[in-house]
Amino acid sequence: MSLLSFLTAALAALTLVGCLYLYFHDLRKLRPGKLTYLGLVTVPSLAIYKLIGLVTIGGLPVAVLATANMEILEGAKSVESCSGCHVMQPMVTDMMDPTSDSLAARHYRAPAMQDHQCYTCHAGYGFGGALAAKLEGYRHLVRYTTGLYTEPIRIRSHFDAKSCLSCHDGTAPYEEIRSHAIAGERLSDGRMSCTNCHGMAHPSRTQRTPGSADYERLMTGRVE
Amino acid sequence: MTTSKDEKSDDVLGLSGTSDALGNGLDEVSPTVFSRRDILRLGAALGLTTLGGGAFWGVLEAMAAKGPATEWFKSVCRYCGTGCGVQLGMSDGEVIEVRGDEDAHNQGKLCIKGSLLTVLNQLPGRLTTPQIRRDGTLRKASWDEAMALVAERFKQAIREAGPSSVAYFGSGQLYIEESYTANKLFKAGLGSNNVDGNPRLCMASAAVGYTKTYGKDEPPGAFEDIDHAEVFFIIGANPAECHQPVFERILSRRRQHPNTVIVCVDPRRTMTAEYADIHISPRPGSDLLLLWSMANVIVHDGFADRDFVSAHVSMQNVDGSAADWGALERFLDGYAPSKVSERLGVPAARIRELAQLFATRPATMSLWTMGLNQRVDGVALNTTMNALHLLTGQIGRPGATPLSLTGQGNACGGVRDTGSLAHLLPHGRLITNPAHRAEMEQHWGVPAGRIAPTPGLDALELFRAMEDGRVRCLLNVCTNPGQSMPNLGRYEEAMKRAFVVVVDAFEDTATSRFADVVLPAAMWIEKEGVYGQTERRYQLLEKLLEAPGEARSDLEILVDFAERMGLADLISARTPAEVWEEYRNLSSHSKYDFSGMTRERLREAHGLQWPCPTEDHPGTARRYIPGDPFVREGRDIDFYGTPDHKARIFLTPYEDRSDPVDADFPLILTTGRIVEQWHTGTMTDRIPEIREATPRGHFELCEGDAVPLGLQDGDRALVTSRYGALEGPVKVSRSPRPGTLFAAFYDAHWLVNKVVTDRCDPTSKQPDYKTTAVHVEKVRT
Repeated sequence: MSLLSFLTAALAALTLVGCLYLYFHDLRKLRPGKLTYLGLVTVPSLAIYKLIGLVTIGGLPVAVLATANMEILEGAKSVESCSGCHVMQPMVTDMMDPTSDSLAARHYRAPAMQDHQCYTCHAGYGFGGALAAKLEGYRHLVRYTTGLYTEPIRIRSHFDAKSCLSCHDGTAPYEEIRSHAIAGERLSDGRMSCTNCHGMAHPSRTQRTPGSADYERLMTGRVE
Repeated sequence: MTTSKDEKSDDVLGLSGTSDALGNGLDEVSPTVFSRRDILRLGAALGLTTLGGGAFWGVLEAMAAKGPATEWFKSVCRYCGTGCGVQLGMSDGEVIEVRGDEDAHNQGKLCIKGSLLTVLNQLPGRLTTPQIRRDGTLRKASWDEAMALVAERFKQAIREAGPSSVAYFGSGQLYIEESYTANKLFKAGLGSNNVDGNPRLCMASAAVGYTKTYGKDEPPGAFEDIDHAEVFFIIGANPAECHQPVFERILSRRRQHPNTVIVCVDPRRTMTAEYADIHISPRPGSDLLLLWSMANVIVHDGFADRDFVSAHVSMQNVDGSAADWGALERFLDGYAPSKVSERLGVPAARIRELAQLFATRPATMSLWTMGLNQRVDGVALNTTMNALHLLTGQIGRPGATPLSLTGQGNACGGVRDTGSLAHLLPHGRLITNPAHRAEMEQHWGVPAGRIAPTPGLDALELFRAMEDGRVRCLLNVCTNPGQSMPNLGRYEEAMKRAFVVVVDAFEDTATSRFADVVLPAAMWIEKEGVYGQTERRYQLLEKLLEAPGEARSDLEILVDFAERMGLADLISARTPAEVWEEYRNLSSHSKYDFSGMTRERLREAHGLQWPCPTEDHPGTARRYIPGDPFVREGRDIDFYGTPDHKARIFLTPYEDRSDPVDADFPLILTTGRIVEQWHTGTMTDRIPEIREATPRGHFELCEGDAVPLGLQDGDRALVTSRYGALEGPVKVSRSPRPGTLFAAFYDAHWLVNKVVTDRCDPTSKQPDYKTTAVHVEKVRT
């Protein structure tokens, strides 16, 4: 259990305790003038009640939301999170297959990409990209839990070539290929895909179709 | 703090306690745990949250980009012989996106040309109306006017000078249905065997090589073998530029199996050579020495598969007499590495290493293209390349195979298989064979004797016949000989003399300079038809767009021409589907049998490989082994194309018949392609991005050759051969071997073929574009 999720749980428990306190507190004890002795100081009972109310209703939920989201959003970057939905398993199996030559597998083996391998390519850069990826993840989650999908799944829009270019653009091996200069703008605006020439990122839709020769292997994650 | 409490109890769930007897506004608050109202509130809150989440999801679904294409269609790339499957994304009747077809043999990969297919049908310069040359200028005409003139001139020529005075020059880019129809129309209809085309310039030697070796044309192996090979022997080919998805598959194989060795034999340090593990650079024109020398090592050092040879191979001397193992050994004595090393320009140790590698690894695949085909000894190179596989038994297993790469998308299916060359009839039949002629006359329903018994004119002879008036009318379809013929100056003159009809999609091609009539053709997905690429794979391209203006499909043009020539009965199949039915059924009478490839199957499949004799046959990736429907029961390997079921090795000696290099012409010019441009650039050089990014025509040579000539990068040089001269800028590069110049031929305003020799292979008649002796001098400005 990560520190963040522990904190989230603790804060959530505290919120619950606060709520119960507020709800079950004997309001007769809050008559004006009634004081509570706190060891060192004596304060009006109503003030304490109001303070606890403020923290419980106004403060703690925000903190819980913040830590929970941080936890979920950070966690959503992990490969495990993506493979949590079994329709993503073929991509993960293939990516981790040391004999696979898919783009995902080759990048997975590359030293430059140590973790968050799905997220690294599938989130755009900057806050907008991250947000878009999370929203897309939420959309996937709803579809997955409601069963509103059919296998093989297919990418809804286009893979954004900027994810490729942000690392490869400007490097010597990229720049010295004349075809890249020709492709240039078309890659950035999505009219052309890097995979047009550089092969498939993941197993093909045919391979991912239930009943195909590769389906079982891809779904069980058994790497031969 | 006060809390209000309703007068009447709404505690229906019995959760609330009774009111305090002391009675006081505040007293009534705490005892109630959850009121009915609370439950309602909770429910409402939950409902709202769900609704909110649902609405949020709905918004996300609506927002999620779908990509601009509304519909996707399976098709095939327009360009090279790799024949990549593509998926075309369309919207509002336009192709707006293209992706590689993941389920096709190219596994979703294309090259930059294929990735730009979206712009192909929108390129400027399309022909939209027929044109007739009047007073020296091409002027618009109606279809009826133009076709009437064409028919009249063809009829007149046949009447005055016989059927052999008319000719058809076709293309490896027409659909199978179109080439088949033209072939039938000319040979069985007009009685002229003068049916040839650009595949003569491109792969005639490979076709003859296969036919001589196995008795049947077309390769025994397939691209799938790449996934199993451990040695790639790439000779006279530059797949990293010219067949990029094929090369990507080779690199993929090496990435997955690091023991894989890629050998590149090329006088230039091409992009393929850059990626290769071993690059050897022989003197241009000498590589038959290399192949025989490797055979020498294989035989003398015991790397040969004697059992395989005695079971499945027969050998012939150059005079046609049978040869035995002893004769082979004696023949090879002259090719010991130490004896050929100097002429070849390759160290003897390197030759030994290559021979051992080729013979001893579990699976060796050789790939070649124009470097072996476009040569005066093209056929010998092809038979010897196949011989290396036969001597070592590197054939008939996954990954062990010879595979010639091809230049055009449909030279195999459209021209070789339909027999649309001057010496051929469909499915490997020969004009010179009376039984073959009789068979085709019967199938085509024409009287016996209709097909002339002598082969027609091959490309070079055809253009020479226009020069001296033997051929008066030429129907030139979908090809650009005005740029692609070697010794171009000579054949430009020839084209001026004949009545030339040019059927093309684009105006202002180098050939239309000589056209008397120009007919606008639909191109690619503006018409329907079947392409057959390198590995006997047939793929259907559906019609997805309308042709611009009045342009018609080449098939429609041929059918119209047939009608006007009075041959409507012969050319009774009028649509691509009808022609396919006729042609598919015809194939069942041959070892090409693809009668199982119905139109419906082709529509569904991502290509099918013949033989495919029944509708439930999956097609054949590798020939001559079990799985090929013609292999006899119980045989591991069966070369059924020959009468004795044995493949043949021809002991053809090396003779230097290339354009002679001497003191006057001391350097060798070799020509080729670059990845972005395709052939004569008619299509690719009109794409602005490609045009801007690729250099204009120029000569490449190494520093060692440039310095003595006083040439620096960017200087202009005059290159002269025995055939012609051309001036152009020079690029000093590390690619060509010393003594070698390179030039690409895509620039229509810089016709390098004016310099290139028209020497050709004596059997295949394929010209040698690879070795022209030249003289280079600096142009002083």
